Amino acid sequence: MSAIPAALATATALAATGALAGLGLPYRLRVAVVGVLTAGVGVAGGTAGVAALGGSRWRAVYSGLVPLAGAHVAVDALAGLFMAVAGAVLAAVAVYGIGYATGHGAHGLGSRTAQAVLPVFALSLVLVPVAAAVSTFLLLWELMALTSLFLVLAEHRGGHLPLGRSRERGSPSVRQAGTWYAVMTHLGLVLLLAGFALFAAQAGGETFATLRAGAHGIPPTVRGLVFVLVALAFTSKAGAVPLHAWLPRAHPEAPSPVSALMSAAMVNLGIYGLVRTGLDLLGGGPAWWWLGLLAMGGASAVYGILQAAMASDLKRLLAYSTSENMGLVLTGVGASGLFAAHGDKPLAALALAAALLHVVNHAAFKALLFCAAGSVLRATGLRDLDRLGGLRARMPVTAALFALAALGAVALPPGNGFISEWLLLQSLVHGLAVPGVAVAVVLPLSVALIALSTGIAAAVFVKALGVGFFARPRDERAAAAREAPPLMLAGMTLLAAGVVALALVPGLLGHGLDRAVGAVGLPGSGALTWGGLGVRLTDISARLEPLWVVAALTAAIVLATGLPRLYGRRRRRVNARLWDCGGGAPTPRMTYTATSFAEPLQRVFDDVLAPEQDVDVTPVRESAYLVERVRFQHRVPDRIEHRLYEPVLRALASTGRAARRLAGGSVHLYLGYGFAGLVVLLLALVVGW
Amino acid sequence: MSAGLYTQLLDLACGAFLLAAVLVLWGRELAAIVRVFALQGVALAAVGLLLGAHEARWDLILVALAVGVLRAGVLPYLIRRALAVSAADRGSDEVRETQPLVNVAASLLTAALLTLLAYAVARPLTELNPTPATRALPVGLAVVLIGFFVLVTRRRALAQVVGFLLLDNGITATAFLATSGVPVIVELGVSFDVLLAVLVLQILTTRVREAFGTTDIDDLRELHD
Repeated sequence: MSAIPAALATATALAATGALAGLGLPYRLRVAVVGVLTAGVGVAGGTAGVAALGGSRWRAVYSGLVPLAGAHVAVDALAGLFMAVAGAVLAAVAVYGIGYATGHGAHGLGSRTAQAVLPVFALSLVLVPVAAAVSTFLLLWELMALTSLFLVLAEHRGGHLPLGRSRERGSPSVRQAGTWYAVMTHLGLVLLLAGFALFAAQAGGETFATLRAGAHGIPPTVRGLVFVLVALAFTSKAGAVPLHAWLPRAHPEAPSPVSALMSAAMVNLGIYGLVRTGLDLLGGGPAWWWLGLLAMGGASAVYGILQAAMASDLKRLLAYSTSENMGLVLTGVGASGLFAAHGDKPLAALALAAALLHVVNHAAFKALLFCAAGSVLRATGLRDLDRLGGLRARMPVTAALFALAALGAVALPPGNGFISEWLLLQSLVHGLAVPGVAVAVVLPLSVALIALSTGIAAAVFVKALGVGFFARPRDERAAAAREAPPLMLAGMTLLAAGVVALALVPGLLGHGLDRAVGAVGLPGSGALTWGGLGVRLTDISARLEPLWVVAALTAAIVLATGLPRLYGRRRRRVNARLWDCGGGAPTPRMTYTATSFAEPLQRVFDDVLAPEQDVDVTPVRESAYLVERVRFQHRVPDRIEHRLYEPVLRALASTGRAARRLAGGSVHLYLGYGFAGLVVLLLALVVGW
Repeated sequence: MSAGLYTQLLDLACGAFLLAAVLVLWGRELAAIVRVFALQGVALAAVGLLLGAHEARWDLILVALAVGVLRAGVLPYLIRRALAVSAADRGSDEVRETQPLVNVAASLLTAALLTLLAYAVARPLTELNPTPATRALPVGLAVVLIGFFVLVTRRRALAQVVGFLLLDNGITATAFLATSGVPVIVELGVSFDVLLAVLVLQILTTRVREAFGTTDIDDLRELHD
């Protein structure tokens, strides 16, 4: 008997207590108690996950829990990995959340509803990977979707404003985000339901064990249909282009701890579902499945990071970056399936390990980034990078932590994102040995797309850090910012410790990762070994020792900065005023803003982004030559959303308007509809009998 | 009562029941329509009585008598009273169904088609257990459809009330024929419901006439968003 059931029971009990405490306790106690209990859910769930990663397995059936079907649960290493990630993120973010919600009144995240829902959401994040039957899985999945929707709407009366400012009533953008999220997540659920229903009907049972056993007897077209339906649903949850439209709306509008949870834990479960269904339950499939995933992954990676480069809203930027990283993970999963389809199991294992490691890395740095953005938002009430600036001096710890996480996000050494992307690139580069024309075209293209997205990611996070935290404040609210309270810093420090550990000694995760890859039937160990501090690819004879990379980089930086300083001591420094071209002293308005920083990139990718500009000149009434006012508007709309979603929405709206014409107002007409419906139904019955 | 006589009497009652529904479509004078509706109530009660006598069930006979009193006595009386009030108020214009949305000839044709449809739909049901009662089952369905048709095509509020009651008669007849009568308590509830509905509709009709000067409900066209 392992520790898993005990840990999961503890998590469930803590979540139930937390939900009751959130409902019952007064505001002052509520936030602290719920926060501690939620952190407890995270710790318990994480413990279960770590135990599963350590090699223990558990399965059980609670027949009374779900009517008719019974609740089937099972934990293997793959589930364990996602539980461990969710648990770790939960524990740290819950601590952060206590600080975030304290002292800002009983609204937003501190409200009764939000605090009651938060532990349930936490529990669902931990429990979704535990489900081992379709009905159980869908129930937990829907629980997760609903609770997260509640939390996204928590600040529907307007977001956090700095203390002492009047609050605006109602925030249309939150409502809009909630609508988008609700509609898209439920469309995803419909697809999932259809796919799994088809799968279960063909396999002859709904438990995962039956599905796994029955998958090979299903005709290939049906299998393909099941995969397409399920993959669409899961990639939409993962925020992959073109099903990402909800993500850059919902993540920015949610309270920051919730954004962190959604971006670092919930989005991962889309990947989990995809790996579980595609590679495990369906047992792999033909190459076209995986080529489709690779295409989606590549598109998400580049398009997501391009939109992030254009975004001037800090949280929107981070949300698009999530889309990018999930694209990279999808590329890894797709490559893994492709290699497995061609029979190259070790390479498939390597690609999947890279994808899963990137999930872990992304969770660590993205949770930290969202928390840091939340600190900024809480201190200034601003998310607009164009107005921020100068926060390094005012919020030094937050700035340092943001910088650390940004280092991970740009995927350059010594950041933690580098290791997983290096592994991913290794698997793709060596995948050229796999035969096939499509492979020969797609793999180099994927490598190029990953390289491109990494390059743009560097620009994105230089922008976020440089414009947001350095330079001078461009708004009085940014100038009046103060450092976040200690509990928020504590939560962020926990996450930062995770980021540093993943960057320096990823080998600690090694065997767990091997087991997770092994859980889907690929040879776990053998493709890559984790000798102490480094990563070694046995088949490919490539190795990486992050600790040495960090040591070498540190030495180089110390040398590069220290030597000139030593040398420069001998010269006399002259302090003079900055040359201002005769235009007067530089003001904050002259500094680089996020928009101006992104402008060159926008020019390069003009065809992809299609920015909209609008110049509106109003002349003085007396003379057309004298200009009274010039208005310049510049927007970079999400083009995919523009081209793909708006026609559909317009068609839906016009159908709705046309349907209103059916309601003419005459009672006879309404009665006639009922009569015609009845007669048609009876006729159908007669003819169909 | 011999089996042959029972079958013939049941068929006669059902035929009268259906014919009354068709006559409602034919008539233009609201007073005549109400008279036909009362006749249909009698036929319905007869169906119930015959079934009760055949199966020697006192509760069924009781229910049939109650239904007869309500459908042939109370409800026609209520409608006639409302009719008398409007006739005294507005003259002959209000007591005639002058211009139905579908004219009489077409209405009769439609009634024939609906009856055919009812027979076609009920075929699988009669095949399950072919007794005289279930063979008459399509009549109940046909009256339901014809009642609905009256609701859709007639303009006067009182004609609509009759249409609604035809529909309910059809449902009751179907219940009698298909299940040899529903339990007393259910039938009591349904009948009470119908009575209340007619009372409310009567008040509503009066109000409509006071407010708009007519009970032509096609003039009420504001019911849309």
